[in-house]
Amino acid sequence: MKKIILAALVAFATTVAMAQIPSVKIENGKGKSVKTSSLVDGETPMILSFWAVSCSNCILELNAISEKFPDWIEEADFRVVAVSVDDAKNSAKARALAEGNGWGDFTLLYDKNQDFQRAMNAPVLPHVFVVDKNGKIVYSHTAYQPGGEDELFNVIKGLK
Amino acid sequence: MNKRILLAFAAMLACGAVDAQTEEKGFLTGSFESNTIGYVNDDKTFARVPDGGFGSNNYLKVDYYKGSLSAGLQMEAYQPALVGFPSNLKGTKLANYYIAWNDEDFAFTAGTFYDQFGSGLLFRSYEDRALGNNSALLGARLNWHYKDIFEAKLLWGVPRMPFTNYVMSDDEDNYMKGYPIYNEWAETNVRGADASLSLSNLLGLESVNVALEGSVLNRYQAVGLLAEEEGVKPSTTGYSARANVEYNGFVARAEWVDAGQKHYRYSDGESNYLIKNGNAQLVDLGYSGGGLGVNLSVRRLEWMNSYIDGRGIVLDESSITNNNLNYVPALCAQYSYSLTNIHPYVPMPYYINGPFVNSGEIGGQLDVYYNFRRGTTLGGKRGMKVNFNLSTYYNLAEEGSFAPGKMLWMNVNVGMEKYLTRKFKLKMLYAMQQRNTSYGMGDGTAVANVFVADMLYKFTPKLSTRLELQYLLSYEASNGYDWMAALFEVNMAPRWSVFVSDMYNHGMEKVHYYNVGASYTASRTRVAIGWGRTREGLICSGGVCRMMPAYTGGNLTITTSF
Repeated sequence: MKKIILAALVAFATTVAMAQIPSVKIENGKGKSVKTSSLVDGETPMILSFWAVSCSNCILELNAISEKFPDWIEEADFRVVAVSVDDAKNSAKARALAEGNGWGDFTLLYDKNQDFQRAMNAPVLPHVFVVDKNGKIVYSHTAYQPGGEDELFNVIKGLK
Repeated sequence: MNKRILLAFAAMLACGAVDAQTEEKGFLTGSFESNTIGYVNDDKTFARVPDGGFGSNNYLKVDYYKGSLSAGLQMEAYQPALVGFPSNLKGTKLANYYIAWNDEDFAFTAGTFYDQFGSGLLFRSYEDRALGNNSALLGARLNWHYKDIFEAKLLWGVPRMPFTNYVMSDDEDNYMKGYPIYNEWAETNVRGADASLSLSNLLGLESVNVALEGSVLNRYQAVGLLAEEEGVKPSTTGYSARANVEYNGFVARAEWVDAGQKHYRYSDGESNYLIKNGNAQLVDLGYSGGGLGVNLSVRRLEWMNSYIDGRGIVLDESSITNNNLNYVPALCAQYSYSLTNIHPYVPMPYYINGPFVNSGEIGGQLDVYYNFRRGTTLGGKRGMKVNFNLSTYYNLAEEGSFAPGKMLWMNVNVGMEKYLTRKFKLKMLYAMQQRNTSYGMGDGTAVANVFVADMLYKFTPKLSTRLELQYLLSYEASNGYDWMAALFEVNMAPRWSVFVSDMYNHGMEKVHYYNVGASYTASRTRVAIGWGRTREGLICSGGVCRMMPAYTGGNLTITTSF
């Protein structure tokens, strides 16, 4: 039984393309529903970070990106999309926390029942992706150690 | 059953493979998570080795996307389940499987899915692996939207029931003698509808966002004859109405819920059940702008549990470990420090303990976050971030009222975060937590004051250390008097991290809860090993808590995704 599944998976794996951003509906800061496929604009790449109020390393990473963002944006054109996966326990708090941490440069989105997080297969936080201008996932990383943000920017700079 | 689904899935994948050669390519994505612990006996904490000495929870999730089509599955293997997890999580099983069509205006899902209405007070199905909770519905869902003005969804399904299910015996009086069964799906049918109308989009208003939303949820769950004679209904219906407004950084959300009939086993000599009507009110008010983020949440709950159970009987209705069809989270401060989480607040959607009955709770929280920008007086050269939380909850003075009764919980905390030099970042936190020691039956409370200093030092852009020092000051024996804790971490970005920590109740218990560990991350794969002693305690996620027994041993965690 398992062999059949495995064989099907293998046959299949040879035909699949690079992973892209699946289209899922989540909320923007105004409470409006947006499709995640609309994040791809065909012009600029993005750093896509999944975070939660309860994830202190996620906040540490986003703060580090936020501090370096003014310097980075002079070298390369890109966006930062921070997706809060907080459910009703912390989703209202997440909005306040983002503002109070000075994440005004980021696109802030709210994935209140983790639909986007599940679709992107990012079960463990922090989880960050670099997505090119066409929506292809070119890099991803889980966990965060201070300084790890520099690697994200190196990937962004390498994109043409 | 499972085999047939797997085969169908394999066939579908194979079709996708053939198809993919002619048309646009689809893509496959997935994740794997494995948590394994080897246990040892520990005379200090009375932790005992379970049968076999090991526990291992494993999850494999695979999703395939191709144009508008997607399909996926999740397999779980418990070899056996980790200590403290629900006992009927065992063996290897196909937990989730779905196929979905997602078009411009329509979406259709068949199989298992997660969803929620509003904040989840009426209905939420979700997964939380740390708790062993998975309340996915097995059924079908239809989403439809008209432009960006109107959205609707219809769903039908049977909730997953990962907790032990009891079949009652035919003799109603002896229902406690029912035997446990380990089925995957509850004998509950759920039907729901949810709609959202954007008034601002309808009227073409640009600067303001106004939306009105409503939901209805019906559940059918067979009940015993005796219960039905007393008025317990097998079919109950709940409603929710919501309004959301956003204007220029201000947010206001209001949610009103009538959760329908609830019943509780409670004998007063004449009847065997309390029959009640669940209801809740929630208001969120927020502002964000100019570096200031403020949020105020006020909530009242009354008979707001929504247990998923087998045949209308829950063995222990006052248990907070049952799986729920809704979500009633603790709206209070969120901490990541060990001493602030020793006695987490558990919401009281109602409370019954022997003859004591209270119908619910009322309370709220205020959060303030502020960013003093660099160059300002308080911000200094590198800026400073501050935060504040006040949260407090009371039980209800009387049923049906909004008047607070006895205090259940209060938290006040202030925190700050600042780079003192380019290399040194200091975070400080003070928290005062006061909790009712008898769940609101009496007035007695216990107070804990927690002080935290969290210091990050960067030696090079990639090499850093973090030291966390905590102290808990308490004059109460129910808190174990004073505690202290420390954690030291060395990080080598972006791959290595090692830590050592200890938590010690020098006021009473005098046991070191030490832990050491290391982790290695390469891209999306992380491997972590550790050894240590874990204290018995409640772990909570939202309204669901689980008592985790003390354990000592070594753990191995592997997570990867592709």
